[in-house]
Formats: sequence, C-alpha cells, structure tokens
Amino acid sequence: MNSMLGSDGSDDDWVRRAQAGDLKAYSEMVKRHQDRVFRYLLRMLGSHEDALELTQEAFIKAWQALPQWQPEAQFRTWLFRIANNTALDALRRRKLVEFVPLEDSFDTPGSEPDPERQAQATQEVRQLEANMKKLAPEHRQILLLREVEEMSYEEIGRVLSLSEGTVKSRLARARAALIEIYARSRP
Amino acid sequence: MSPEDKCPRTEALSALVDNELPEPERGALATHVTGCAICAPVLAEFRQLRTTFAALPEVAPGIDFASLVDRRIATTAGSAKPLLRPQRWRWWQIGPAALGGALSVSLGVYLGSALMLGSQVTAQPAALQMAAFTAIPPGALCPVMQVCNSTGH
Repeated sequence: MNSMLGSDGSDDDWVRRAQAGDLKAYSEMVKRHQDRVFRYLLRMLGSHEDALELTQEAFIKAWQALPQWQPEAQFRTWLFRIANNTALDALRRRKLVEFVPLEDSFDTPGSEPDPERQAQATQEVRQLEANMKKLAPEHRQILLLREVEEMSYEEIGRVLSLSEGTVKSRLARARAALIEIYARSRP
Repeated sequence: MSPEDKCPRTEALSALVDNELPEPERGALATHVTGCAICAPVLAEFRQLRTTFAALPEVAPGIDFASLVDRRIATTAGSAKPLLRPQRWRWWQIGPAALGGALSVSLGVYLGSALMLGSQVTAQPAALQMAAFTAIPPGALCPVMQVCNSTGH
C-alpha cells in the first residue's frame, strides 16, 4: 500500500492514510517532521533529554488526535500546535522557567573559513542562546516560530491560536524585549 | 529604555523585517526610516537579530523517532488506530428515540382509553356484579325458608 504512494506524496495524503489507522503512513509523517519538532522543543525547553521525551509525547498526542485533523489545516502547523502545548505543559509542570544553555555539541558548524569570524559567530550564537533563556516563554515561542521555523504570521496565528494582529504586536514586543536583554547584558 | 519606548513604529518595523507589511505602508515606512534617527537603529537591531537567529546551528536529534513512537503507540495506546474522540452529546441525536417514546406513550394511552371505553359499554349493572358476594349463591335456593316465608309467601 505504501509503495503505491511513495515517500514523496504530500503530507495530506499520508495523514489521511494515517487517519485510517495506517501506522506506517504515520511513521513517514514522524520522519518528515521529527527534526523540526525536536529543534523547536529543544530551544523551548533548553534540555536535550526533555526535548527527546517531549518530541515522542507530541507525536503520540498527534496520533491520538488524528481523527480531529481536518484537511484544511496544514499538518505542520497542526503538529506544532500540539508540540507547543506539550512544551508549555512541561514548563508549567516542571516549572522550567530557567532556560538551560544548549549542550556544547551544538556548536556552529565549521563552514566559516576565517577563524576570527567563526569565533565571533559562535560568541553571538551563545549570547543569543543565553539571552533567549531570559525571555518569557510566550516571547520565546513566537520568536522561534518566526525566526527559526520561518512561519508566516498566519501560520503562527494558527499554532498559537492568535489573530494575525496579535502575532504582529507580540513579535514586536518579543524582539524589543530581546534587544532590551542584550542592552542590559552589555558591560 | 526599550525600543518600544523610543520608537512608536516598533510594531510596523518588526513587520517590515518579516516582510509582512502591505505595499503602500511598506514603502512609506521604508522612506521614513531612511530619514529617522530613532527608527533606523531599531530597524538595524531587528535585522541584526534576524541574522543571529539565522546563524543558530542546525540541531538534529540523532535518533529515529518513528520507531520509538511506533513502539510506544503499540504498547501504551494499545491500539493500531488513532483514538476516536468520545461522541459529544448533541440534542438532535435524541430525536428518533424521543419520537419513538412519544409514539409508544400515545399508543398506550389510546389503547388504555379504548379498553376503558369498551369495558363501560359491556359493563353489567353493579347489582348483578355484586350478586356473587351475597349470602345466597346465584341460582341457589333460599337457605332460610322461615325468613322467606315470613310474609307468608
């Protein structure tokens, strides 16, 4: 059955098959989206172990909620909505207000030929990660969805259940808050 | 002071960076920013943030979640099918049952009424019905002849 569809079918085709109980089709969806969901949860929670656990949890919740998925909804935004709620639940449950710095293994890739420039880029990334941990979760999530996941205002609105106008104003406040944190951290 | 305090156009500048501003507004703001000493640095800071975010390293879990999720679905969910949400109660769902109930009650009332009406039509006089309970069984001779004959009959 899967061979008829091939691994290049659209998300909608695979989700419809998964809705009918095809676990292999759902596995294909997990493979397609696992890196994005993991990356988002890692940066929301700041813990590799938590991100690993919650990524699985998010996909299981999505499987259980599949009967409610409507073809009008883009699967990615629908899945991110579940992942985001999972992250917020975990933050509330574990009171993880502090954003733990990312592990050393996630250094900037060494594609930069100039060592000085590379060192500066690494420093900027580390500072961004350190400053992100000081942001309120609602500012952190909206910045990650926009800047890292590159979602449109409409998509962010669907993930966070906000109007586009609210997305626009909250993003501006999040950026302003992050710049303020930068300003305070400067010597 | 935050950029919000310094610049009243923070929201529009943020949308400009995101390319989410409609064209007439976008052009007007871009023109404004070139000559505004307050807006220009804010826009530059927003753009710098974007550049730094873009430099964030790609992170990969390094494991295959599909097999883990498969296993957990098989063990914890205990079902190869997504969970169906419990049916929500809807008023129109009780329509057929309510109609059936109403018909049953109406039929019962009708049949009961017909039975009562029929019994009235065929009812015997009360004296005749009570005759079964008199001291003299129906069709029997009077047991006390003296009483019967007290009048001389």
